[in-house]
Formats: sequence, structure tokens, C-alpha cells
Amino acid sequence: MALSKEDFNKLAVLSRLKFSDEEAEKFRNEMDDIIAFADTINNAVSGGTDDIKSTGTDAVLYTELREDAVKESLPNEKILSNVDGSKGFFNVRRCVK
Amino acid sequence: MNYELVCGIETHIELATKTKIFCGCTTEFGGAPNTHCCPVCTGQPGSLPVLNRKVVEYAVRAGLAVNCTINNNSHMDRKNYVYPDLPKAYQISQFDEPVCENGYIELDSGKRIGITRIHIEEDAGKLVHESGTTYIDYNRGGVPLIEIVSEPDISSPEEAREYAEKLQLIMRYVGISDCKMQEGSMRCDVNLSLRPAGSTEFGTRTETKNINSLSNIVKAINREIERQEDILESGGRVVQATMRYDANTDDIYPMRTKENSDDYRYFPDPDILRFYIEPEFVERTKSELPELPSAKLRRYIDDMQLPETTARDIYKYRRVSEFLDSAVTEGASVKNAANMIIGGIYKTLETEEDKEKFDIKITPVQLAELVKLIDEKKINKNKGQEALSKMLESGKAVSEFIKAEDTEGLSEDELIRICRAAVDENPDAVNNIRAGKGKAINVIFGYVMRQTRGKADMGKVNKIISDIIG
Repeated sequence: MALSKEDFNKLAVLSRLKFSDEEAEKFRNEMDDIIAFADTINNAVSGGTDDIKSTGTDAVLYTELREDAVKESLPNEKILSNVDGSKGFFNVRRCVK
Repeated sequence: MNYELVCGIETHIELATKTKIFCGCTTEFGGAPNTHCCPVCTGQPGSLPVLNRKVVEYAVRAGLAVNCTINNNSHMDRKNYVYPDLPKAYQISQFDEPVCENGYIELDSGKRIGITRIHIEEDAGKLVHESGTTYIDYNRGGVPLIEIVSEPDISSPEEAREYAEKLQLIMRYVGISDCKMQEGSMRCDVNLSLRPAGSTEFGTRTETKNINSLSNIVKAINREIERQEDILESGGRVVQATMRYDANTDDIYPMRTKENSDDYRYFPDPDILRFYIEPEFVERTKSELPELPSAKLRRYIDDMQLPETTARDIYKYRRVSEFLDSAVTEGASVKNAANMIIGGIYKTLETEEDKEKFDIKITPVQLAELVKLIDEKKINKNKGQEALSKMLESGKAVSEFIKAEDTEGLSEDELIRICRAAVDENPDAVNNIRAGKGKAINVIFGYVMRQTRGKADMGKVNKIISDIIG
């Protein structure tokens, strides 16, 4: 399945990303390869994706759930150690007009 | 042209768990910014979310309380959108396998508002915009929510309000959230479109976000109906958009054009395996549900013979209704207990919030002790109210304020003797009564009350006095 230019541009807008025409063409081709790779995996599973999604078979793994017990959070300075933070907040460029 | 309203409501409710949905950080409201955070709820690379069991349990409870079916197989999805309130650029939510589906809430009219689904998801962080900067606090990020999506069955602003009010009360009764709209633990988004009366096709809808009180639901809907009507009347087309309602100015304006469901690019979250809700667990939860508001109201009116307004004034606060139920179990008559609560206790609880909290100093047993004195006519209601206000101030038992001699019953003979004296001592009042001045009886009543220290039953006194005066 080839990714159309329109779909690629739509994805870029939704992801808040900007590409030059050259970059767009390069990444669009790369995404084609990625999708083709996923298709290969899908086809390798007998019966296709529906089988993986089906429920009630032994093949389905279920998650373990966590008990509702409070654990200590990280100290504020540690949480903010990799970001532009002041007054204890994460700071970004104003995102509303 | 006449238009009819087609309206559905999406309600977000914060669950009263101790910890967040995917990590052990506390869900406590407030706290210094970014102090209830860890690598999971700030979306650090390599961190892994683990689903909180209580969140699933609460969602099941919520679903059963509004007549949903529970999906035994369920999973989490990623809902992708880029905005700084989500550190991961996606929200972990549910798309095609919500925990609950196909329920309803019944309005007083008997009309049912369908509930399409209830799913679990994480809340986003809080943004504060100041000059050129947006400050982000992720304390709320990862707090568990349920989103309750109604069918577009609502056809008036009043129905919308009643739906939200009933939903709030049900969720409070089952104890999964305090549902405080002003604090944001319950938030309503209203989807609304208009169509020519009688038409079966839907018009273009808008979504009005984050309405923070029940009365604002009505106001926002009225305002948006007005806006859409103006557009349609002038031959224009409503644009699908997310709107914000400003209660201060009663104005409504678009926030952003709405992203389509497709734009969120939902897909199963690969970090979290599917989860299984055992049918036995669902059955047990169902059998353990408390009495729900509608059943409680019917019981108060039909079985306990409370007047409807009294019943409603009590059932709409979960703690008050539980208090009344306990006092009745302790032997108080429901009528006098309810009157003491509304006529006495409510006087000390000014706001809706105070009544909801119902933080008072006396216990149901103490109220029952007082009410039983009234039931047995050992004291009258006024005396009872007096004692109640002292009890509410001090938290002490009724025996502290009403002595044994106050409660010794008045014999019929004694009461007649006092009434005779009252008539003899107040000839002017008696003449006035005979002349048709009804209010003059109060002079006689006052005399009797003083002589009996408030013990006399006024109904009886009235009858005796009428017999004497003729």
C-alpha cells in the first residue's frame, strides 16, 4: 500500500511537523517501506490480523493489574531535570493565542 | 422555521482511586506543581504503564449502575494528538472495546436517555498561560477518568440538566467519585445540533466543552441553540467545531475545528496487554451495588409516605439519606426524623456543598434518641428543634439538654386544668376569639406553653380550648 501525498501531508499537520518537498518525498518512501514490513508480518500470521485480535483463545495474553497503593513520586527537581522548567512547572512556548 | 434539538452529553468523571491509572502517584487534588509525578505519568522514554485494578472495578460499578452490559474482554488504545497537556503526545484511552456499553438513565418523565458506552482513560495535565509562556503541571496527568457517552436522545436543555444531575447522583451513590463540577471532578461536553422539526436527518453538530455547573449546562445549550438558529435562519451552514462557553459573558465561541475520529489514529497500546473482567466479578459487583437514587426516592415516597419535596430534599445528598436511613433503623419515625433534618440540621448547612459533605457533630443514634421523644409526644417539635440546635453545636446527646422532668408526660387532667386556667386568666383574649379574631388564640397557647414548659401537644390544647370556649 503506497502512502499518498495527501495522507502524508495530513499526518505531518496532525503531528505538528514541517517538511521540505525533498524531505517529504524521502520520508514518504521510507514510510511505504515500513508499512510494507508490517504487511509482511500480518501475512505471516496464519489467518491474518483478525486471528490475533480474536478473544477467548489460549493464545491471548492478559495483563496483570496493579493494586491501588500509593508510591512515592519523584522529587520536583528530578522530574524537571531535563526540561526548561521554572517555578516548578514545565515551560513551553505559549500554545494558545 | 421551527427547529428541534438533538443533543448528547459526554461526561468525564474523575475516579476516587488513591493512585493514578497507570502508576502509583497519588491522585490527591492540588499539591505543588509537578510533585505528584513520576517517569510513567510524565511519559519518559522506557517507562511502562501498568493498569490500576481499582479503575477497572470502578468502571464496572459505574456501568452496572446505569444498566450497561460489561465487556469481559477489553483493552487500552492510544489516542494521538499533539498538545502540551499530554507529555506522550497520545492519551491512553479506549476505542473499540470500552469496559461498558448499552446502558440508560431514566428521567422522571419515564423517558430513557441511552448510554452508548463508558470507557476508562487518563486525564491530561493542567496548562496555565501567561504572557509568552505556557506553564504545565502534570499532577492531574494520569488521574483516572471514565468517559460516559450518551446517545443523542436529549431533546431539551431541561432534559440535559436532569440527565447530568441523575448521573452525578448515581455516581455519588455508588461511591466512585465525588463528582464536583466546580472542581472539575465531573465535566460535561455537550454535542448539539438542530434540525427542522419532524426531520429524521441529523444537522451538523458542535461540541461545547468543559461546562462546570448544572445550571451552566442549560445556559450553554440555550446559547448554542440561539447561535445555530441564527446561522440556519440566515441561510448559512453550521461548521463542525469545538466551542467554549463563557458563563460570565453568556458568550459562546469556537476553540478549534474539530478533529475527526480518524485524525486521532487510534491503535491498541502495545505497552499494555488486554485485560479480562471475570463474569463472576461482574455478578458480585452487581449484587453489591447499594440502593440507587431512583429506588431510594420511590421507597421514601411510596413505602415511607414522605411528601415528595421532603423525599427529594433528602435523597439528593447521599450522606444525608444514609443518615436518615440509620436514624430510622435506630427507631426514629421517618417523618419526624426527616423534619428534624430539613427544619433543623439543614439550617446549619448553608450551601449545597455543605449539605453534600454533611459534616455534622451528631450521630444517627443521637438524632433517633431525640426523635423518639417527639414520636412518643414526650416533648413537642419546638422543644425538639431547640434541643437539636444545642446538640448540633456541642455534639452532645439529647439527655444533656432535656431533663427527665421535661419529658414526663402531662396527664390529660393536668392539661385540662392548665387550659382552664389559661382561659380564666385571659378574659380579653377569650372575648377576642369569640369575636372571631382567630389570632387571639396565641395568647392562650403562650400561657399553656409557659405553664407546661413546652411539653403540651398543641393539637390537643387547641381541641381542649375549643371545648371550653365552645
